[in-house]
Amino acid sequence: MELYVAALGFGLISASVIAIAAVGFTMQFGITNMINLAYGEVMMVSGYAAFYVNQAGVNIWVAMIAGALAGAALSYLLNRFLYTPFQRKGTNLIGMVIISLAASLMIANLMLPLVGYDTSSYVIDQGQLLRWNGLVLTAAQIAIIVVAAILMAAIHGLLTYTRLGKAMRATAANPTLARNCGIPTQRVISVVWLITGALCGVAGVVAGMDSENFSVASGAGYLITIIAAAVLGGAGQPYGAMIGALIIGLVTELSAAAIAPEYKQVVAFAILVLVMVLRPQGMLAKRGALAAAG
Amino acid sequence: MRIQNVSSSPDRALLAASDVYRHFDGVLAVDGVSIEVPKGKITGLIGPNGAGKSTFLAVLAGTLPASGGRIIFDGQDVTRTPAYARARRGLVRTFQLPSEFARLTVLENLLVAGPHNRGDSLWGALLGKSYWIGDERRLVDQARGLLKRFGMTAKESDYAGTMSGGQKRLIEIMRALMLEPRVLLLDEPMSGVHPSIVVEIQHYLQELRTEGLTILMVEHELHLVEELCDSVTVMAQGKVIGTGTMAYLRQQKEIVDAYLVG
Amino acid sequence: MNSYYAATLAVYAGVDIIACIALNLQFGVSGIVNFSFIVFQAAGAYTAAVLSMPPDNAYGGYQTYIGGLQLPFPMPWIGGAVVGGLLAIPVGLVVLRKLRTDYQAISLLVLSVIANSVITNARAFLNGAAGIAQVPGPFSDQVDPLAQSYQLLYVALTVPCVLLVWWVASRIVNSPFGRSLRAMREHEVAATAIGKNPVQLKMTVFIVGGVIAGLSGAILVGYIAVWAPSVWLYPETIILFAAVIVGGRGNNVGAILGALLVPVGFEEATRMMPPTIGGWVPPPNLIPAMQWVAIGLLIIGFLWFRPEGVRPEPRRVFEGAPVREDPERVLKS
Repeated sequence: MELYVAALGFGLISASVIAIAAVGFTMQFGITNMINLAYGEVMMVSGYAAFYVNQAGVNIWVAMIAGALAGAALSYLLNRFLYTPFQRKGTNLIGMVIISLAASLMIANLMLPLVGYDTSSYVIDQGQLLRWNGLVLTAAQIAIIVVAAILMAAIHGLLTYTRLGKAMRATAANPTLARNCGIPTQRVISVVWLITGALCGVAGVVAGMDSENFSVASGAGYLITIIAAAVLGGAGQPYGAMIGALIIGLVTELSAAAIAPEYKQVVAFAILVLVMVLRPQGMLAKRGALAAAG
Repeated sequence: MRIQNVSSSPDRALLAASDVYRHFDGVLAVDGVSIEVPKGKITGLIGPNGAGKSTFLAVLAGTLPASGGRIIFDGQDVTRTPAYARARRGLVRTFQLPSEFARLTVLENLLVAGPHNRGDSLWGALLGKSYWIGDERRLVDQARGLLKRFGMTAKESDYAGTMSGGQKRLIEIMRALMLEPRVLLLDEPMSGVHPSIVVEIQHYLQELRTEGLTILMVEHELHLVEELCDSVTVMAQGKVIGTGTMAYLRQQKEIVDAYLVG
Repeated sequence: MNSYYAATLAVYAGVDIIACIALNLQFGVSGIVNFSFIVFQAAGAYTAAVLSMPPDNAYGGYQTYIGGLQLPFPMPWIGGAVVGGLLAIPVGLVVLRKLRTDYQAISLLVLSVIANSVITNARAFLNGAAGIAQVPGPFSDQVDPLAQSYQLLYVALTVPCVLLVWWVASRIVNSPFGRSLRAMREHEVAATAIGKNPVQLKMTVFIVGGVIAGLSGAILVGYIAVWAPSVWLYPETIILFAAVIVGGRGNNVGAILGALLVPVGFEEATRMMPPTIGGWVPPPNLIPAMQWVAIGLLIIGFLWFRPEGVRPEPRRVFEGAPVREDPERVLKS
């Protein structure tokens, strides 16, 4: 029984990591209608950016900012110089998926000669071990959960209370109408990529903190759980992604305790398949997997 | 071109919808619509933007499933029948936005719609040309006949994607006719089409009616509706608000207020 | 050119051509973005391996795997093809029915990653990460596998398979059935409106492609005698996509061209590279990494500049057609 309570704790951390990533991912989908398969690699690059800053003696929590900046910059460049030109050209959804896949491959393989094939780890002070009713978490792990909560609240605040947030939601719902209402959709889209890129960056660093080590190959692994969480919650729905992340995080950790840790991704995949078969639009989406025959 | 005869009393409804509903994005796009499409006539479906006409047409054709209600085609309940099966039975639709097969030639666009082609299956394909060439030649003749009738013979080997808007419209109509349909559902066939082609299409539709084809047409241009349609159904906000001839409808104040101008 | 090298090149080319023809049927002709293609090749390879190997307690039991039936040629190859097709059934039924195309694509991509992970971890099934080694090739008990004559024999076995696959694919593509597939690719909803059943069409092509992919795996494993998860990671599918995009979508000649230009061409081009460039020795893993970058660039470059590929889908002109009055109007994809 203790095993499961501990797994619950891990599940919360997992959910936090996934949530930060999935919200960014799903917002990119919501605003540009494309599945950015390079997302996992951007996370990995950001993780390494923070790594080098960390190696230079900076505390990992401060180095996280470097990760956020790297993620924001790379995501913005990716959208500006690769995705947008192809979309302007009229490339269909499938073409965009193939292009983002090609981009992910290039990013990963450009990183390999730079950082090598070996795994790396952050220098991180885990802090005190805190126990509560069978939950055992270090201070650092709790801090991760807190960071996730703060970011989720920030996103909620952004979307609900700010002009930018409203512009974002309008552009996501109906870009033509938004433009006709005077919203500078191109700029809104760029800002969304910067913000979601920063989320992606933070997610990459936090993911590196949560696992013992990471490498260039970690990028692809992140992507699967993120896609599962985003689809579960409803494509393009940030709140759905948060719920999806919570479910995926908890279920994968609990099943890892119940079955075996190597199959965590398989469980996430199984959830993805179930959602696709039973309710492709996810929990919250109005349009989503069933939208206009692609 | 052969129009299949359906033996029945003259004004029997070949296609009927009974209390059809369709949810979309949490809204009732089609809200309890019933309609009867009499055989051998052109029926118009008009209404303001957002009335649900195109959605209703899609539900009739099976492209969208109905959330409630029944659709009866030639006496059979086809509510659960998928779109492709309805097309094979003779209930064929066209689309509002251009939907030609762009990287197929004009002739291929027509040929692919031809039913009863032995080569149109995996085994037929593997058995080779000698097995299906007979059917293919028959369909080529049929298609070329349509191309000639609609004046597009010269474009036979051009890619359909390079055709003009009006030509794409014609291709879609010809493609539908290859199926020898019994009911044709036209979704704004004149929209975005050059006025000279509009006159042509009008002419073809009248010919087809004379030959016995049943047509239901969603259309915005009221003067066209007046000239072509034997009866008209008016929709607004997902519901039917009136049915009859245009002359009759013009006398109904609510309908004039809701939609008709002048 | 030494004959071992020539034979190896011929076998690899044959396998790649077969794989590209299959992927072209699914993607180029029918518009199914099968990002899990490599899994079907792997299924064929594993099947051929466990059908042709002795039981796993032979050789002192250092590998564990199911099967071990020691069947003679051509059973392993037939088995590989059949399993490739069988695997396509559940995968196709789950993924190809109601989802929009980009969701289909990512589901298949995720499947590819997960399948590799599961096989790696389930050691008892197919010997996990180490994979299966010492796979006997066809007739290897009668002809010494190390002899030059065996190399020629293998090429002689591969070539008819290539021709058979090409024949099947040609019949499909150049038939009314192929035309229906292309129509579905162009506009699936309009295809249903003219009576085409998209699920049936997609499942058929998915299964046929799976059979051919399985065959390609069986041929390959008999030649290289090993098969492990590291051989069939998800990016391997992307190389084949690059090949089909570069060579030309929707036609078999384009698929063959793509197979020769990309997987074969790449392998050979990098073999030719000198070990040092002006005195600088590149680190050992740089070349493979740069190959992947080049693959990515090829895909993006061709999709931008020439999406129809080096050899585009040919225009079908029927006998008795009037002479076309307009100048050649090429339709960009």
